[in-house]
Amino acid sequence: MPATLPESRPDFIRVENFSFHYGEKQAIFDIDMAIPEHRVTALIGPSGCGKSTLLRNMNRMNDLIEGVRHEGDIRLNGISLYDPSVEVISLRKRVGMVFQKYNPFAKSIYENVVFSLRVAGRSRKSELDETVERSLKAAALWDEVKDRLHDSAFGLSGGQQQRLCIARAIANQPEILLMDEPCAALDPLATLKIEELITKLSDDYTIVIVTHNMEQATRCSDRTAFLYMGRLIEYGDTLQVFNKPSHPETEAYITGRFS
Amino acid sequence: MPDMPKSPDPKRFEVSRATLWFDRFMGWLIRFGGIAVIVAVFGIFYFVGKEVIPLFRSAQVEAAGEVASGSAPAVLGVDEWGEMPFFYDGADKLVFVDMQSGERREETIAGLTDLKVTAHSYDAVHHRVALGLDDGRVGSFLVAYERKFDDGRDPRVEPSVTPEPWFTLKHGTGPVTAVSYGDSGAGRAIVAKRGNGDDSTVSVLRLGMKRGLIGKGKLSLLEEADITGELGSEAMMVRASQNGAMVLVASASGGIHYFLADSGGVSKRQTFAPFGSMAPKQMDFLFGGVSLVLTDREGQQEQWSLFRPSEDGERLFGKTKEFPPLAKGPVTFAASQRNRSFLTGSGRELSIRHSTSGAVRWEGAVDIDPAAATLDAKGEHFVIAAADGAARRYAIHDPHPEAGWRAFFGKVWYEGGAGPVYQWQSTGGSDDFEPKYSMVPLIFGSLKGTLYALMFSIPVALLAAVFSAAFLPLSVKRIVKPVMEIMSSLPSVVLGFLAGLWLAPILVTRVPSVMVMVVIVPLAAILLGYAWCRLPIGFRNRFAGGSEWLIVLPFLALAGWAGWSLGPVLESWFFIYKDPASGREIADFRLWWPQATGIPFEQRNSLVLGFMMGFAVIPVIFTIAEDALSNVPKSLTAAAAALGANRWQVVWTVMLPVAASGIFSALMIGFGRAVGETMIMVMATGNTPITEWNLFSGMRTLSANIAVELPEAPVGSTHYRALFLGAVVLFAMTFVMNTIAELLRQRLRERNKLV
Ligand SMILES: Nc1ncnc2c1ncn2[C@@H]1O[C@H](COP(=O)(O)OP(=O)(O)O)[C@@H](O)[C@H]1O
Ligand SMILES: [Mg+2]
Repeated sequence: MPATLPESRPDFIRVENFSFHYGEKQAIFDIDMAIPEHRVTALIGPSGCGKSTLLRNMNRMNDLIEGVRHEGDIRLNGISLYDPSVEVISLRKRVGMVFQKYNPFAKSIYENVVFSLRVAGRSRKSELDETVERSLKAAALWDEVKDRLHDSAFGLSGGQQQRLCIARAIANQPEILLMDEPCAALDPLATLKIEELITKLSDDYTIVIVTHNMEQATRCSDRTAFLYMGRLIEYGDTLQVFNKPSHPETEAYITGRFS
Repeated sequence: MPDMPKSPDPKRFEVSRATLWFDRFMGWLIRFGGIAVIVAVFGIFYFVGKEVIPLFRSAQVEAAGEVASGSAPAVLGVDEWGEMPFFYDGADKLVFVDMQSGERREETIAGLTDLKVTAHSYDAVHHRVALGLDDGRVGSFLVAYERKFDDGRDPRVEPSVTPEPWFTLKHGTGPVTAVSYGDSGAGRAIVAKRGNGDDSTVSVLRLGMKRGLIGKGKLSLLEEADITGELGSEAMMVRASQNGAMVLVASASGGIHYFLADSGGVSKRQTFAPFGSMAPKQMDFLFGGVSLVLTDREGQQEQWSLFRPSEDGERLFGKTKEFPPLAKGPVTFAASQRNRSFLTGSGRELSIRHSTSGAVRWEGAVDIDPAAATLDAKGEHFVIAAADGAARRYAIHDPHPEAGWRAFFGKVWYEGGAGPVYQWQSTGGSDDFEPKYSMVPLIFGSLKGTLYALMFSIPVALLAAVFSAAFLPLSVKRIVKPVMEIMSSLPSVVLGFLAGLWLAPILVTRVPSVMVMVVIVPLAAILLGYAWCRLPIGFRNRFAGGSEWLIVLPFLALAGWAGWSLGPVLESWFFIYKDPASGREIADFRLWWPQATGIPFEQRNSLVLGFMMGFAVIPVIFTIAEDALSNVPKSLTAAAAALGANRWQVVWTVMLPVAASGIFSALMIGFGRAVGETMIMVMATGNTPITEWNLFSGMRTLSANIAVELPEAPVGSTHYRALFLGAVVLFAMTFVMNTIAELLRQRLRERNKLV
């Protein structure tokens, strides 16, 4: 952990009594939590406990699914995501997302990075070039691809593709970066690189990361939330959650008694 | 090895016998099935090839007997079966020779013995030998053949000779030097030249049957017209058409004079000079009596036919074809009595030519110098005879003389037409009708039908697929897709029936409405989209999840209805037809269109077809394109959405490139469906084989053509085989299109390949 943390609003994202249903099935039960700005917050918990669901609600990606319903609210910097005046498109520009399985488009590396600018109608060459360099550098990919920016993104290794997806997600300089198990499909070396990257990015972005990997949570998150069966069981500073869990389920989970 | 620890159950590593048997059985079954499919496909190719290839074979000619008659062939004729040629020596002797046995039978024509024959000609159809005498009389005798079947032996041909009455020419003096005889059954004409040099005269005799109370009636002279004054120079050759309605006289100065001989008398219609100031060396009518074949001294051979040079003008002769030139030398000519082929040649080099396609069907050499030649009525043999009476018979095998590359794919100048055309007209009213087998109008029809069908279907189907895949809520999509799939299984005969009997009569009065709707509905959709964007986000968010269609649908329905009702208004403004007779003005598109554009308006037209084909083609394209779009990985669309792309941008930038090859396949399958579609085409297009893109006329497609005509085409005939050729062309078209499309698709897929 760096000694001096940047300025942080403690409840930059507020999840308020939030429940979520996929049709009949309730996936989130009444979660209440505040996520601080410019920090890395990890969501941990066994499979199917609702981590992804919660994360995906933070940029309303769940809107794309048929028959979903929610109660409560999620506020971004004080403004409700579900306010009728919120335009989902612009919301998603503020909240970037990186998925579990790297998913670059069938385009060149360059075009992948500038995708968010293109769909926003920005196509000035100098701006695009600048964005590509900045984003790829921030994603620690620049040195590896700078000579083949116009080659297909599929020519990259898995780890590189995932970093490309991160570069793509931050190209538009969102405020928040949501990451859903970004290392699940990567080998340990690539994982290490992404973890370093996450730590570095937290200076500029508020990061919420879902992870299955305890070490990863301890290595790169500031705060950790433990979800179990759709409920928030424990939430606090990472060190505290891992060293002195206050709930027996948390302890059972982090000591690997169930997954 | 007694001490080995026993494996717990060795049987578990064994495969049961039944499994093995089943595996082997299925293996063979599948192999059999695969081979059977391949055999079936090749069987089809074989069958179709067997029907089509004979069309492109040239004629086969082989020697089939030789005899010696011992009599000069001033006139050579032969019976229908080519078995017993006769040789008329130009005086009173007639020799019949049996081709099989060589047996000669000599006959003296009673009544000719004391006369001096100075001119003769032969009409092969009636077996009539026309005669002219030195005393100015003209007449003829008929040779008749009868086939006798007695006591189980091979049929025998029995000839007989019937003299016909004489008529004395009133005009001119001296012997008759040329004669020609035409007979239509009801009326006859004889054209005869008298004398030689500048004093010679030419007369046309019109004969008619005076009906008696009993019996056949009596042949009598109606009129004798002296046409000498109209010729300008000495007549070299006279020809009456086989039905006696036309008389042609070639004069020494090269002009050919065409006279019409009908109940109105004999009148000159035209003079033409095919070879400048040179008189032709040969001039004869072809079967049908509409075309002349002429050869000049240099061997140049041309066809002149009667046609109307202008829309409402008179039928006159014009040059329609040039054949490959003959070598210099004596010209042989004999016209077929079945079709437009003829035997011609110079010296010993003979050829069989077909006038319609201009093709040389056969070429070869004979071993005598032909002084006379004739074809039998079936077109199965020709007989040539040398001056010394030696004769050769040749068998002709040419079942499809009118076929060939030119006839199927080239422009052909048919008899009676004003110029070379692409035309399909397989059957006609009369015996001498010339079938026209051009594939071009049918290919055109197939392309036109396909084009209009696809022009309507592709935009609708693709937009619908995009809408369903990317905009429509899942709950609605779950209904729409199966409904579309059911639609694609609607029998096309039902669609064709609806098109022809329901839609066509409605649309025919509502063309302006359709025009307004075509403009107004998309315009309304665009306007609605624009207005929607201006609405406050709070309102728009209420229709999240794709339920906007609830607003779009009634709005578009309203726009459609408005277009439908505005049509007649538009019609009354712009589509005013002026009745040329009364000068009245009528607002009616149906009448206005032909008047304004000069092209016809038909009830069963491409517009109707486009709509109805839509029902057949749209579901096919829609279903496949929708699948392709829906199968774009969710991870990609989600990534794009997470990057702030709106729905349309997700479609445009991510879904379409990935689904491109699938959409392409959808289009190709739609194309295949449209090209091969038969029942709708048969029932909704009117089936006229025309070649114009006019939206308000129909077409005849290759497939419809086969469906309509195959039942009435005699198996093995040119017509029958031409229909199969149509199938081959159709196959080739789709094959080429599909191959190109597949190559394109592969490239598309390569470019947008996903790992
Ligand atoms: N699209 C969906 N439709 C229905 N149920 C879903 C959907 N996505 C997730 N679920 C259910 O919601 C619960 C939470 O899922 P998720 O958030 O993906 O868990 P995880 O913590 O493993 O990411 C699970 O029980 C899952 O079955
Ligand atoms: Mg998950």
